[in-house]
Amino acid sequence: MRVVLADDSLLLREGVARLLEEAGLEVVAQSGDAEDLLRKVGAHKPDVAVVDVRMPPTHTDEGLRAAAEIRERFPAVGVLVLSQYIEEAYAMELLSSDASGVGYLLKDRVADLDRFVDAVRRVGEGGSALDPEVVSRLLGRRRETDPLAEISPREREVLQLMAEGRSNHAIANELVVTERAVEKHVTSIFTKLNLPPTADDHRRVLAVLTFLRSGD
Amino acid sequence: MQGLRRALLALFALGVVFAGLDIALVLLSEHDEHKLATVILGPLIGLSFIGTGVFAWWRRPLNRFGALMLSVGFAWFVAGLTDADSSTLYTLGAYLGPLYIVIVVHMVLAFPTGRLETVSQRAVVIAGYLDVLLVRLPFFLLGGDVSKGLDPPRPDNVFALTDQPDLADVFDYTSMFVGVVILVATVVLLLRKRRAATPPQRRAQAPMLWTGLTLIALFGVNLALEVAGAPGGAVDGFGLAVLVCFAILPFAFLAGLLRSRYSRAGAVGELIERLNAPIETPRTLRDALADALGDRSLKLVYWRESAGHYVTFDGRRVEPPEPGWDRAITEVRAPDREGGSGQGRLIGAIIHDASLGEESGLVRAAAASAALALDNERLEAELHARLEDLRSSRTRLMEVSMFERRRLERDLHDGAQQRLVALSLQLGLARRKLEVDPATAGRLLDAARDELGRALEELREFARGIHPAVLTDRGLGPALEALAERTPVPVDLCEMPPERLPAPVEAAAYFVVAESLTNIARYAGAHRASVKVARADGYAVVEVADDGVGGADPAAGSGLRGLADRVAALDGRLEIHSPPGAGTLVRARVPCA
Repeated sequence: MRVVLADDSLLLREGVARLLEEAGLEVVAQSGDAEDLLRKVGAHKPDVAVVDVRMPPTHTDEGLRAAAEIRERFPAVGVLVLSQYIEEAYAMELLSSDASGVGYLLKDRVADLDRFVDAVRRVGEGGSALDPEVVSRLLGRRRETDPLAEISPREREVLQLMAEGRSNHAIANELVVTERAVEKHVTSIFTKLNLPPTADDHRRVLAVLTFLRSGD
Repeated sequence: MQGLRRALLALFALGVVFAGLDIALVLLSEHDEHKLATVILGPLIGLSFIGTGVFAWWRRPLNRFGALMLSVGFAWFVAGLTDADSSTLYTLGAYLGPLYIVIVVHMVLAFPTGRLETVSQRAVVIAGYLDVLLVRLPFFLLGGDVSKGLDPPRPDNVFALTDQPDLADVFDYTSMFVGVVILVATVVLLLRKRRAATPPQRRAQAPMLWTGLTLIALFGVNLALEVAGAPGGAVDGFGLAVLVCFAILPFAFLAGLLRSRYSRAGAVGELIERLNAPIETPRTLRDALADALGDRSLKLVYWRESAGHYVTFDGRRVEPPEPGWDRAITEVRAPDREGGSGQGRLIGAIIHDASLGEESGLVRAAAASAALALDNERLEAELHARLEDLRSSRTRLMEVSMFERRRLERDLHDGAQQRLVALSLQLGLARRKLEVDPATAGRLLDAARDELGRALEELREFARGIHPAVLTDRGLGPALEALAERTPVPVDLCEMPPERLPAPVEAAAYFVVAESLTNIARYAGAHRASVKVARADGYAVVEVADDGVGGADPAAGSGLRGLADRVAALDGRLEIHSPPGAGTLVRARVPCA
């Protein structure tokens, strides 16, 4: 899997590159700002671009805008956005139309090497990776009539992981249950939330997120 | 102004002509028994009133007092017609003769404003005019005896329609009796007026009041004697005393004028009265001054000591007009402690028409009497100005604080947080290598430790930028010492207050010094800098000076502006003296009890 990295902190960029290469991914290019990133993505057509939100010149949301542009111009390239802080609004902007090949993670997550590499791979393969923090916040929202009240604690765990973009297989591993059990929970959740059943992982993410957002 | 002066001169010339005619009448008169006295006193009295009236009118065009004096003079000359041998002139003089007494009553009661202030004053004056002009009329129409047995006999009464002298006398005596009542009432009103006056008003009115009072009393006694049918000699003797007293009246007015700057008595007296009256509208003082000085375009501005400029009543900054063609400015100062009129603290200024400059004494007198009221308004203007300041500095403070917060957030994210992320990444990598490649893991851990050290250092700097702990713990002196040590330019700490100052003052002082030293290190090209913090007159004064290139512009950077706002938030003031090539002095004065 081929990766382009963009972060204005050289230190961090080098660290992430080393990490990904040790995990067997190929870092084909690195850049320190959004413009350079777009050029390199265009040139290398990687499977995934890992992009920091804040980059020169204004250090605000350059990375986010670059991500949107990559998704428009190079739909085949997955984009994983890293951010120093969590903004649900940013996450939703990224995922608004299509959750396939999109990720939004808190920057700190790079320290959990395996999970980070897993998220990069998932996005590179057209899946999604949403930071657990974002999902927790969405789940934690107050609603007037709360359909989530009917969901069991175990189902809630499944829902959380599902929203993060994990596959049934990954969820089963995480919760140490069989995939069959996960499937049962998913069906139950979809019924309780009155969502149309879908087999596709990233469609599933979008459906769940749409539900969580519109809940209030 | 020119037209008025010409008209007044014409009136005076007319008076001179009348005086001449009067002299001629007296000299030719066949029935005047006191020709010498009359020929001297008659024209003298008439001209004195006319002259003084013209002068008063000229100096105080808005005040009717001058017109009243003039009227007395002319009425006096009309009364002089009784010296004529022509029956017609004589009768006219006899009929209108007492009119001047009523006008004197009117004048004395209306002194100094020229207006009758109370209902009873107005009633007395109107009754006087009616008594002279109407009640006495039937006496003449009914063929009253104008000679009254005097010798030599007076000319005939030409107004007579019938010949009923006894009935006519009824009206004459009635009129005289009413006249006595009116004069007594006038004395009462004058005494009442004096009682109501404030001490300065009393002082200003004294010469006029006492002469007027004596005169009116004499008129009254004279008339009473006549009513009572006293012997002619007594009446004559009294009449002479009345004349002398009457002759003194305009000079009493002039004496007052000379003695107590009384050309302004009207203006300033009116002003004082209006100032003592309950305030009707917020603009009363300006209106009162505008009226008193006869300048509708007059404006008041108030001095803001704390800001060093004038403001309007609404607190907006104004520049006083350059002294020039049409506008002039007269400063108003508080009376100094010794009660002198000179060099007290500046309160404000009257901006007025330049033509009033010819009467600078008048404007100054008005300014002096308005000082107290102006000072009151100044306090209110000061309040408005401070609200205005507060509003704008609050806005700027908010902008500055937004900017600061944004900078802090960025420093945190791009500095310490970034390092901590990298650190956790290194630890993750080290953890992986721990078993398979311990040497690499060791190197990664060393690098991680260094990274952690740098992150801690950045956090310390960051926290100090928000609020230095040493300032809270140890006070300004140690905090500034630490600041001086970190500044690349040598810094002398000359003077420090031995005691702790209030926390907001210490913080403001600290940031003034910090920002100034940062600027010095960055831009000034200085060899030395010095810092001084002292307390004086209820202020904490912070001074940071350097020997650098100068030319610092407070408007250019957000740093100095932010400082100015921080200082202003404590009601203080920031001054920057930075002439090119001569170093920079930053001085902050913050109230500190």
